[in-house]
Amino acid sequence: MVGRNRFGKGFGLLGGILAVLFGVALLFVIRSQPGQQPVPVMAEVHENITPDHLVGKFTTIMDEQGNMLSMMARTVFVGDELYTCEGRIYRMEKVEGDQAEAKFVGMDPQIVSYQDFYAGENMPVLASEVAQQGKGGLAVYHTHTDESYVPSDGTESIPFKGGIYQIGKIMVDKLRGKGINVHYDETPHDPHDNNAYTRSRRTAAGLLQNKPAAIFDIHRDGVPDPNYYRATIDGKNVARLRLVVGRENPGMSANMDFARRMMTAANNLHSNVVKEIFVGKGDYNQDLTPTALLIEAGTHTNTKEEAAQGVAMFTEAMPTVLGLTATPAAPQAPGAERTAGGGAWKALGWILGVTIIGGLGFLLVNSGNWESFKSRLSGFGKEFAGFMGPGQALRKIYRKQGGSLTEKEPGINSPDANSKLKDEKDNPTKD
Amino acid sequence: MERFPVGIIILIVVSILIYLGLAHRALDRMRLSDRGALVVIAAIILGSFINIPLGFLPFTTSVNVGGALVPIGLAIYLLLRAGTAKEWIRALAGAAITAVAVYVVGSLINTGTTMEPAGRFAFIDAIYLYPLAGGIVAYLIGRSRRAAFIAATLGVLLVDIFHYVWLLGQPGAPQNYAVAIGGAGAFDTIVLAGIVAILLAELIGESLERFAGGPKIEGRPPELIKALKKPELNRPGEQDQKSAGRNGIKDDEKKAGELGGQE
Repeated sequence: MVGRNRFGKGFGLLGGILAVLFGVALLFVIRSQPGQQPVPVMAEVHENITPDHLVGKFTTIMDEQGNMLSMMARTVFVGDELYTCEGRIYRMEKVEGDQAEAKFVGMDPQIVSYQDFYAGENMPVLASEVAQQGKGGLAVYHTHTDESYVPSDGTESIPFKGGIYQIGKIMVDKLRGKGINVHYDETPHDPHDNNAYTRSRRTAAGLLQNKPAAIFDIHRDGVPDPNYYRATIDGKNVARLRLVVGRENPGMSANMDFARRMMTAANNLHSNVVKEIFVGKGDYNQDLTPTALLIEAGTHTNTKEEAAQGVAMFTEAMPTVLGLTATPAAPQAPGAERTAGGGAWKALGWILGVTIIGGLGFLLVNSGNWESFKSRLSGFGKEFAGFMGPGQALRKIYRKQGGSLTEKEPGINSPDANSKLKDEKDNPTKD
Repeated sequence: MERFPVGIIILIVVSILIYLGLAHRALDRMRLSDRGALVVIAAIILGSFINIPLGFLPFTTSVNVGGALVPIGLAIYLLLRAGTAKEWIRALAGAAITAVAVYVVGSLINTGTTMEPAGRFAFIDAIYLYPLAGGIVAYLIGRSRRAAFIAATLGVLLVDIFHYVWLLGQPGAPQNYAVAIGGAGAFDTIVLAGIVAILLAELIGESLERFAGGPKIEGRPPELIKALKKPELNRPGEQDQKSAGRNGIKDDEKKAGELGGQE
């Protein structure tokens, strides 16, 4: 084959060996760095003057006028979006190192309409009646189970039993106090890395077997400045929250709808306790259900009490949003007929569309030319007959009529050809 | 209709591809018939509900039938039916390289106690990282769909095993630490990795080869050229022959046909 010849004989094996060597070398290099921080140089420079928990790198997002919009302990990418508590949408236009510039693209009509809706709603929640509804309850877990708060826990990370568990417990206790059934899975997923999501996916899938109305993965951020999250709400010191929605999830629009409703409902009860929604790269196991949400309760330099207060305020909005309330004639928010079901049909449309277009493209590529593509396409009827219909009977008739089902060109199935093929099949690079 | 995880979407798409006969070549290379493939998918979905606890191991260890045993079983079946030692080496080396690649990206680069929510360089989620790594590595090593599947599924398993070994060395690890291999069933990364890796190998490999003009003909033994023409594309009546081959008629000849082109 023409393409393969360019690479030359043995490229595959050589490439494989090189890849192994490269991987092993990389492993050693990274393993030898203390603390596995991606910014070891920075850490060493400031070692004597800066406490460990302040060395973490973070990204600052500015608007076009140079005003600071947000900061977060992650890299942002062009196309990521930030939804502020007021409903302003910013899209990342330029990312240079730790600085991102975002463009204001308009107000989010849904957040604005939810704000009006929840502002007009004043519903008392009765514990006994709540218990009658939403039998699946809610589910809570932590992907990064070492996360802790420096002022309260003394460190930002306590392996396997971080301070984040107490924050999760606050949410769970508050919901249980309202008579809501909560499934709290305390399975640790250490170490604190990206692969933790693969491990917590198993926990989340297990929790979903209880059919909860929503599932929350509770984290804390890692920006060094506690004042970014700190606020006084209703006279209390609070670490505000960020909701994170992963945009590598095909059903993202449904999760985003849920995030919008949670943010506006919570902010309606306690002024702007949710600071923003960040829509970034990742999935965060949110593909598992439209009502999966990742919460960041303050940052590691906030106190645990501040974070707990923020989460408690946020939790108060859950029964309202998830329909776990007692008011039978409660008006529906626009587009909220079902629990975040808005994106499901869209997702189905996408699946069918991608399947059909992908299938046709695949067929075209495999056919090699347009004529063959057309003949294969018109052969679909036969394909079904072969798979489901009276195929055997039809073939018997066909054979009786003297048709051959296999030999299209003399010699291609001859023992010679087959044995030659076997001999040569270990040399795919020759093709 | 409200729950459409990535896993289910992929299983639906793959089922449609199989059902419409579009996955014919991929399945042939996977040594599966249409029915065999649909049975495997059904086993993955039904097996998702079965967790086998491994009480004799430390921690709360379990293995899921649909999420781990079925895909790993298929990978081992493919290995056992591998024609040559080279194929073994390629597939196993692919699995090892995939595991190293995923471990480096997912656990060494994207780590740190204040890295949130998925690490500073997490441009791709772990559930896509595995199949990407598996598919690309397998393609580079052997241009093989079988190797892609084996590399991706066994690669994830290797990372799980490595994590388990790491866990054994952690004095602070609580005994209730749940290690559920394939615990997310049909949604588990093991299943996703295997299927997406085959699709990737199919898309990259098959398409590239087609665009490059198919197998080289000049200077090759005439018997090989004849054999490389299989499966017979671009010839009238091929549908009849394909159906016949897939339903058991002249099965031996079909197997011989599998050996041509990309595997």
